[in-house]
Amino acid sequence: MLEIENLLLKKEDFTLGELSFEVKKNSYFVILGKTGSGKTMLLETIAGLKRNILGKVYLDGLDITTLQPEKRDFGFVYQDFMLFPNMSVEENIKYSSRYKKIKNQKELFLDLVDFLQIKGLLNRDITHLSGGEKQRVAIARAIYSKPKLLLLDEPLSAVDPTFKNSIMKLLKGIIKRYDMTIIHVTHNFKEASFLADKIAVMLDGKILQIGRANDVLNRPTSIEVAKFLGFKNIFKGSFFDFKDERRDRYFSVDPNRILFSYKKNDREFCYECRIDSILDITDHYKVFAKVKNREIFAKITKNMFDKLELKEGKDCLMCIDSKDVEII
Amino acid sequence: MKDRWFLSLFMFLGSIIVLFLTIPLIKLFMSVGITTMGKTILDATVYNSIFLTLRVALYAVLFVCITGIPLAYLIVRSDFFGKSFIESLLDIPVMVPHTAAGIALLVAFSSGYVGDILNFFHLGFIDTTTGVMSAMMFLSAPFLINGAKEGFRKVDEKYEYVARTLGASKIDAFFTIVLPMAKSDIINGALMMWSRALGEFGAVVIIAYHPMVAPVLIYDRFNNFGLKFSAPVAADMIIISIFIFLTIRVANNRLR
Repeated sequence: MLEIENLLLKKEDFTLGELSFEVKKNSYFVILGKTGSGKTMLLETIAGLKRNILGKVYLDGLDITTLQPEKRDFGFVYQDFMLFPNMSVEENIKYSSRYKKIKNQKELFLDLVDFLQIKGLLNRDITHLSGGEKQRVAIARAIYSKPKLLLLDEPLSAVDPTFKNSIMKLLKGIIKRYDMTIIHVTHNFKEASFLADKIAVMLDGKILQIGRANDVLNRPTSIEVAKFLGFKNIFKGSFFDFKDERRDRYFSVDPNRILFSYKKNDREFCYECRIDSILDITDHYKVFAKVKNREIFAKITKNMFDKLELKEGKDCLMCIDSKDVEII
Repeated sequence: MKDRWFLSLFMFLGSIIVLFLTIPLIKLFMSVGITTMGKTILDATVYNSIFLTLRVALYAVLFVCITGIPLAYLIVRSDFFGKSFIESLLDIPVMVPHTAAGIALLVAFSSGYVGDILNFFHLGFIDTTTGVMSAMMFLSAPFLINGAKEGFRKVDEKYEYVARTLGASKIDAFFTIVLPMAKSDIINGALMMWSRALGEFGAVVIIAYHPMVAPVLIYDRFNNFGLKFSAPVAADMIIISIFIFLTIRVANNRLR
């Protein structure tokens, strides 16, 4: 449906791209990245709001690179909603009907009001709505314009956590109900894993990994992506004494799977270590230990911790299985 | 205790400037009296002059609305060659002596091509309302343009972006979203420009002694007949200006 080809945009000292990727029709595509990595800029470029770009943007095979934003049929929802304060809720939702012919306007409006549960808000002043209410109105306004592609810029970041789950469910339901494709940018892994069919990880203006949500979140293909996704204990293969081709690859050890003990056990790898520091968290302990002059981080249950009587400066063994080691 | 001292000191200092600004007006109204003010306003020369001043100042504001608001938008939203230079240029009228501005306008527009064009349309320049309007506009336009700039700056560009994705062209987005959102600052700027234009004397008197606008009439009466005849005109002019100014400001605040 949407195809981005060698997209490049420079703004002051920031460079977006070169980016190439494809978004399939009726899919939920999430761009996951840190704040300031160029995600919003990418959405605005796709929407045609940024000029002087290099590369091509195709929609259903047609080159739309230079097409004006109002001719693209893309909806846009910003994280800070951007509801027009000079209009009521209903006028905001119906704004696009001033410029577009919208089929079955009445039915669509009633359906949106029902789907997004905004009936009680229609006559309210924009300034008196809560974050979640504003977000639902902004989504209704974008869908009412019947876009082919809905672009969502951190749509849940300004929403109260108690409403997040319900809005996520609504977002997920949009594709089927309104026959749309969604590109959603976020820095939140939970949102990405719940919503995405496909995820692209974006850092410093570049897409580093793209693939099915489960694959990207569990199998990062670079250290940058692994670090961004919160993978801990990243070591080179030589750390584990691998002698084969794995020697030069990177691995990540899951902190929850590390076992401390005082004698060898059935785990495949056991290394001598010294406990550096211990942090008492409500339901577990965070233990930092030195292994081969490298720091390793482990999460230990309170029961296990008490059983082992771990103390700072104590020597012991740190053991893991190869299944607990993720190849990067 | 220290807080009370601090507040008392500031209240004392603030009250000095409030008194300085209000005493001359109160004293003027008291010395003239309501009866004389009423009689003076019924004098055809006076009401014609005050009405002319209000009308020409309004024309000047409307002209700058049409030309200055687009300029303010361009300055805020676009980057173009010479932008900083134009911005500095717009503030020059605030700095120059008003009589010098009058001389500059006289040199620029009373003859040459511009003079010919004005004459062709029977507008003229010297001793005409066109000349008066130019003098008012030259010295007060920055108030409106800067007000509009301030208003446009407060409107996040993302509002326009959203409007455009909803099908509005750039000009549609400007008229339906940006202008209504910036309107309060624009109206305040227009009000400032209009009130500044009402009081313009230095530049106006160089270009057009006649038709006589209120500031020139006050000066003329003071020069020829003294304080007794000029003070009532001044009092009438001030009271009418304050009334219009407050009405628009209250209406503008209610519209917010």
